[in-house]
Amino acid sequence: MTRQERAAWLFSAPVLAIIALVFVLPTALAMALSVTDYSIYALADWANLRFVGLGNFIDLFSTPLFWRAIGNTALFALLGVPIAIGASLAVALLLNDATVRWKPLWRVLLFAPDVTSIVATAVVWRFLFNERSGLINRALATVGAAPVDWLGNPHTSIPAILIFVTWKIFGYNMIVFTAALSAVPQDLMEAARLDGAGHWGRFRHVTLPAIGPTLLLAAVMSVAGFLQIFAEPYVMTLGGPAQSTTTILYFMFDEGFKWWNLGQASAVAFVLFLMILALTMFQTWIGRRYEWL
Amino acid sequence: MRHDPAMGAQPHDWTRRSALGLLPTLGLAACARSRAPEPLKFWAMSYEGDYSPMLMPAFTAATGILVDVQSLPATAAHEKLLTAQAGGAMPDVLMLYTGWVQEFATIAAIAPVPSPAMVADLFPGVLDATRVGGRDFAVPWSVAPQVQFYRRDILARAGYPEPAGDWDGWLRMGHAIKRQRPDDFVFMLLLNWPDMLMTMLGQTGATMLRDHDTRGNFQTPEARAAFAYYARIFAEGLAPKALSTEIQDPVAAFAQGYFAIWPTGPTTMLDLHRRAAEIPAERWATARLAGPHGVGAVSGLSTSLCVSASTPRPAEAWALVRHLSSPASELRYQTMIGNLPARLSAWTSPQLRAPILAPFKAQMRFPATAPKVIEWERIKLEIQFAAERVVRNVQTIPQALAGLDTRVDQLLAKRRALVEAGTLA
Repeated sequence: MTRQERAAWLFSAPVLAIIALVFVLPTALAMALSVTDYSIYALADWANLRFVGLGNFIDLFSTPLFWRAIGNTALFALLGVPIAIGASLAVALLLNDATVRWKPLWRVLLFAPDVTSIVATAVVWRFLFNERSGLINRALATVGAAPVDWLGNPHTSIPAILIFVTWKIFGYNMIVFTAALSAVPQDLMEAARLDGAGHWGRFRHVTLPAIGPTLLLAAVMSVAGFLQIFAEPYVMTLGGPAQSTTTILYFMFDEGFKWWNLGQASAVAFVLFLMILALTMFQTWIGRRYEWL
Repeated sequence: MRHDPAMGAQPHDWTRRSALGLLPTLGLAACARSRAPEPLKFWAMSYEGDYSPMLMPAFTAATGILVDVQSLPATAAHEKLLTAQAGGAMPDVLMLYTGWVQEFATIAAIAPVPSPAMVADLFPGVLDATRVGGRDFAVPWSVAPQVQFYRRDILARAGYPEPAGDWDGWLRMGHAIKRQRPDDFVFMLLLNWPDMLMTMLGQTGATMLRDHDTRGNFQTPEARAAFAYYARIFAEGLAPKALSTEIQDPVAAFAQGYFAIWPTGPTTMLDLHRRAAEIPAERWATARLAGPHGVGAVSGLSTSLCVSASTPRPAEAWALVRHLSSPASELRYQTMIGNLPARLSAWTSPQLRAPILAPFKAQMRFPATAPKVIEWERIKLEIQFAAERVVRNVQTIPQALAGLDTRVDQLLAKRRALVEAGTLA
């Protein structure tokens, strides 16, 4: 080992040690747990612990609620990622326009929800979504629409939570996009305009390629985020009505921490890990294909 | 600062480094000095947790022991306590809902009651739930049967001086009220709170588990009858299809007449007294819950006091339990939060002769019994999920009950294996 290499190892050793301790070790332990039937009985007496191999996974795949949770999470991600990123991009484009004044003020206002407490805002939104006295239904009533039982109807509960989540998180990606948009080459934009490209043409052929990598990053982060959605249903609906907002993470939390079936919960965590890994690999592949990475 | 060799040569000269070196010694000294009274830790849920600090000055005055009370939100208490037990962070004394005692005794989180005198003088039937393997693991603190809180004015207008006591009568009364107030509801049965459905299942005589409590037993005429009645209340528009997260302020809703009958426990009296400006005391009263053929046994959220098995100060912890569960403390608590004493002798007090308490007193002698399995808390919620699916027309009753049997069998798999292996009685 050369002197330089030794120095490099020395400098990265603390970080590597921390990663090993707080990331690799817990992950390995969780994987080990997922092949045991660790439950409240094992908490009572270690002698009750058994190695069950893939038993937890087989059990999991025969639990209807698990599939329901996967379906709900997929719905959150499928609807949520485009809505959230679309909202961020749209607002970022609006704010990027030269005619908008007081830009810093707008940015602060639109970014504010992202840094507020999720529990506090969820409670406020619960009031907004109230069927009888909520502001949203009152607004709907002024245009003659029938009241919607937002959080009480299994068909509207996910859209209702998505409205809240989008409001809550779009500010973050908006800031990221604003930064990316400022790097779009203005001379190219001018040239496109002179060549007769319209708004859409310039967006499609100048802006989009320039912010492509940022868009990909935002998509990867959003997919990972939406697959791990938990706090919003936990605070707003407790996974209801009729378990229509029970997500994978919520299911895992219930199994693991509420009922102490840590074996089963670790199996869920493992499945979720594989899902996020697969999706991220897919997104990377798309990124490579379009030469964004 | 560069190290000066001249300074190092003088052994007793104070430098910043040697002063810093003394810091750990200072820390040790601090530990040694603060050996004096460390407060006992007491955890309780809900109003019991919020108001417990008011019972402590008397205890501290009598014994010199300080108590640090932590109030846990009822919805998150179960996981918080399990996590505390797994992480070795249990408080010295804790309140448990009586239905949880079996579970926490099984995982050896709580210690058996040291003297039979502590569990003498209690309402009969209360003690059964806290007895595990023939030993008492908790001192019952309060008894909280559910009764129906009703709006006297609304019922009177519909021609009912007091609510009906049987199921058919309940529905007839419901429709009479609904005719007068078509935009409101009559009953308040939250779709994620299992107590009412548990009471109904108990009253139809459904034995929910079979084979030594190792399998679900829900595909029975009794369970079907209870589910059918429960679902009918919603299908006929007499109760809102709502979760607790949607009825954000049930007291305000009750005051506004959004519903007229509210099956709930004694601490609701505290809410109603506090908000007497919105709902004056003459507008509401209490009555025993309706059963299929009149009043019967009812489930509730009774509370018990336990001492952690890992407490280093068991004597002081039990002294606190003795103080909190004394008739005097229980009566004081009754005035504060409406909780009803579990001690029989407390009931001779004139304070408990108020007419509003009479239905509770009559009901307390008939607690519903639940199967003694540690998975019961979870099974209760599964039953409620099944009922919610029926109410929301996601499943029919036979589908829901069959699904429930499968699910409960799955939840009891470990227990079944242990019972078959003879590890578990």
